Amino acid sequence: MIHYETKIGLEIHIQINTKSKLFCNCSTQFGNIPNKNICVICTSQPGTIPMLNRKAVEAIVKTGLALKCKINKQSFFSRKQYFYPDSPKNYQITQFNPPLCSDGIIKININNKEKNIHIKRIHLEEDAGKLIHEIGSTKLHYSLLDLNRAGIGLMEFVTEPDFNSSEEVLIFLSKLKNIVEYLETSECNMEEGKMRCDVNISIKKIGDKNLGQKVEIKNINSMSNIKYSIINEIKRQEVILNANKKVIQETRGLKSKNCETKSMRSKENTLDYRYFVEPDLVPFNLKNKFIKKISKQIPELPMLRKKRFMSEYKLSEYDANYLTSKKTIADYYEEVLNFIYNTNKSVNISKLTANWISTELMSKLNLSNISILKSPITSENFAKLILLISNSTISGKIAKIIFEEMYISNKSPETIIKEKNIEYISDESTLEKLCENTIIENKNIVKDFISGKKNALTAIIGCVMKKSKGQANPKIVNEILIKKLKNYIT
Amino acid sequence: MNLLNSLIEKIKSYNTNNVYTIEKCFKNIKKINPKINAFIRLNEKKSLEKANKFDKIAEKHKLHNKILIGIPIGIKDNIMIKNELVTSASKYFKDYVSPYDATVIKKLKNAGAIFVGQTNMDEFAMGGSTETSIYGITRNPWNLEYISGGSSGGSAAVVSSGMVPVALGSDTGGSVRQPASFCGVVGYKPSYGLISRYGVCALASSFDQIGIFSKTVFDSAILMNVISGVDRKDQICESINNTDYTYNLTKNKTFKKIKIGIPKQLYDYKIDTEILKSFNNAIDKLKLRNIQICDVNIPFYKYIPAIYKTIMCAEVSANIATFDGIRYGHKAINVNNLYDEYSKTRAESFGYEVKKRILFGTYVLESKNHNKYYNTAQKARTILIKQINNAYKKCDFIFSPSTLQMPVKFGKSLSDECDMFLIAANIAGLPGISVPYSSSPFSKIPIGMHFMGKRFSDANLFKIAYEFEKITNFKKEYPKL
Repeated sequence: MIHYETKIGLEIHIQINTKSKLFCNCSTQFGNIPNKNICVICTSQPGTIPMLNRKAVEAIVKTGLALKCKINKQSFFSRKQYFYPDSPKNYQITQFNPPLCSDGIIKININNKEKNIHIKRIHLEEDAGKLIHEIGSTKLHYSLLDLNRAGIGLMEFVTEPDFNSSEEVLIFLSKLKNIVEYLETSECNMEEGKMRCDVNISIKKIGDKNLGQKVEIKNINSMSNIKYSIINEIKRQEVILNANKKVIQETRGLKSKNCETKSMRSKENTLDYRYFVEPDLVPFNLKNKFIKKISKQIPELPMLRKKRFMSEYKLSEYDANYLTSKKTIADYYEEVLNFIYNTNKSVNISKLTANWISTELMSKLNLSNISILKSPITSENFAKLILLISNSTISGKIAKIIFEEMYISNKSPETIIKEKNIEYISDESTLEKLCENTIIENKNIVKDFISGKKNALTAIIGCVMKKSKGQANPKIVNEILIKKLKNYIT
Repeated sequence: MNLLNSLIEKIKSYNTNNVYTIEKCFKNIKKINPKINAFIRLNEKKSLEKANKFDKIAEKHKLHNKILIGIPIGIKDNIMIKNELVTSASKYFKDYVSPYDATVIKKLKNAGAIFVGQTNMDEFAMGGSTETSIYGITRNPWNLEYISGGSSGGSAAVVSSGMVPVALGSDTGGSVRQPASFCGVVGYKPSYGLISRYGVCALASSFDQIGIFSKTVFDSAILMNVISGVDRKDQICESINNTDYTYNLTKNKTFKKIKIGIPKQLYDYKIDTEILKSFNNAIDKLKLRNIQICDVNIPFYKYIPAIYKTIMCAEVSANIATFDGIRYGHKAINVNNLYDEYSKTRAESFGYEVKKRILFGTYVLESKNHNKYYNTAQKARTILIKQINNAYKKCDFIFSPSTLQMPVKFGKSLSDECDMFLIAANIAGLPGISVPYSSSPFSKIPIGMHFMGKRFSDANLFKIAYEFEKITNFKKEYPKL
């Protein structure tokens, strides 16, 4: 069997997170009715001129700086010409050479080894509209044009062909996504088409000095599609090479849900885009002051934050990874901690908080697909709940009841405790009677305890809690039971 | 029709009846326009309504900042006026109603101007004779057998014939100043970036500027005060502080130590004998006014036609690409597929000159030609600008005849070099003004002289043109029509 070596390079389009489009004041809101977000500029009425959205320039420079790119201060726009109805001007305003950002780097971990992925360039350009050829399953004999997306700002990332497998590509993409989300320069939402990927793949026999022929797969819009179209394409090329044929340089597109691809155009039909400098916009001419200002806006990036969470909060790598996987979650976590530390510096609740966020809160939010930013439980209320648990005012079971109620009603835990009358029974004489009765009713467990079984105490505490419908203060119950059971031993 | 300046004074002092002024204006237009076809559309009803509205405003002081109140203006048909047909004289836009106002139109509306009609032009402003319009030719008011020039021939003719005191045009390669020269009116193109281009159907974006036609230099300066200024909708627009372009003119100081340069290269070309005679006469008169005349050497002047054609057509090919019949404009029927629709739509709706320029522009931008043609032209443009700036170390203005040729009869074409001294200003983004100086004793056709200033020296350019205007042989009268 012949072994092949794969080289993959990526072109990634990410929609920039600005309120208005790149060259006009239209909203970038996703999901509006077709052609609601349009104006004379983004429909290219005669006489209109693009006016550059400064926020988009700030966003791409911020992204470039975070990826250690060189910022090309004298960069400019160019026109890329091709006729297609989704591009109202029949040219796209984009950047040729030099792009705004070049020569960046992202480090990924693959098989416990660090690998550098080089970002050749990041440039600024406008998105196209959408053509609709069918409604539901009915194929139309005409096409509908929705220009809501036309003119939204895009950052196009181009990597060097540094990847050798689909795993590396996926790790890189989630890392890039993670960083960009941290920078808040894009939502990177692939379902809404805010992040799309073109993949360039070539394979060659291991040790072969000549590079393999490159094939491009265009416009892939989900992680699993990226994975399977890479795997399929490698297989396709292997079959060709095994049969002693040549791979032809071409552009392919996804054909089916199984990530099979079909040829869109071969090299002979490469479009001549007739690039030239956009005369309607002045060159950027970025000032050092501007770049300094932007660099100050770069937050702590996920890798560093993860390391800090591990050292500062003594979290496991797993927990730190989870919490820093999204900036919003990490921010929420630290808000909760700050609130707690402001009331009581000495408590040790970092792990407890991490658990409650990752298991209880996030699973509920994920279920209803709500961002933690819009969590019905504010970080302050969440902190109060954690405090009540940590000083054993309430049991874990009660805490869950209160948590559910907080999630529905947005109320603070104190209010819920008052309203529901579910505070702990901490009155010692009541609890003592309760323990006495439980011991009498559970002789077997007491025997286990005497014979030295370790979990017998926990079991009997559980019985007390059950008997009190969870309202007994477990801390006091624990003390009473130890005292009483000792009497049995002697 | 009165001069703009005196009309403004009249309205201010006598409280002139605006409806009366506009009615008189239309009466005159209806008499004259059929003979020359300069207006292609008239907005009589709306104009009278607006005039009536102004008349009804009792508190006249509320109008005092509206400097152009009740002033009738002609607008070239490639400048967007909301809810009006704007056609660029092309079949493609025959039924196009503009959904928005150009920035200059907004400014003129705020100043109280009345758009009495749209003026004829070459299709998409491509041409120098106003013969490529779908609305037919515009005759030269001084001699109906001759062209009025172009592309803004209609605007030149409506002012020249006295139908309106001022009109707007667009100037990409002399398209305001050349017809102004042919029709005997002042034609002014500002420095690139002084007037917002927003709302002017683009021809070649790096050259396009709106320009002004008027009977006198002073009137152009008045209009310039209204329509110039920074605009966030055109980021090329420079933030030049509020300049009063009439200031230099009202202050009665005479120019001292002014130096005027004449490019040596001028004499490399065949200049019409009448034009050359006038030009030499003008130089003598300037000398009598103690203005120093010197030669300047700008070797790259000889490349002006090539630089202009290459870059202009390249930009045209992209700018016109948007007119594809998908969202608005003419749409071909009976088509087989998308590309068939594109080509039929465009083949049916564009004229010969437009197609020629699209093809040439496409050719020079193709990757195999890009370096040879487009890049070379851009490099030459940079050198030419350097050479012109160098020349300005020796002089304050560059002086030449506006055109090297007199206007031709319909169907005859002008030479490539005819407008090259005007085009220099477009290539370098400089201000230029053509002032009528004399006229041919045979054909009665006027001859204009051109001053080109340094970038953003527009206020000074108005001053030299204003002084020059006083010594011309051109009588301030209207052609007999």
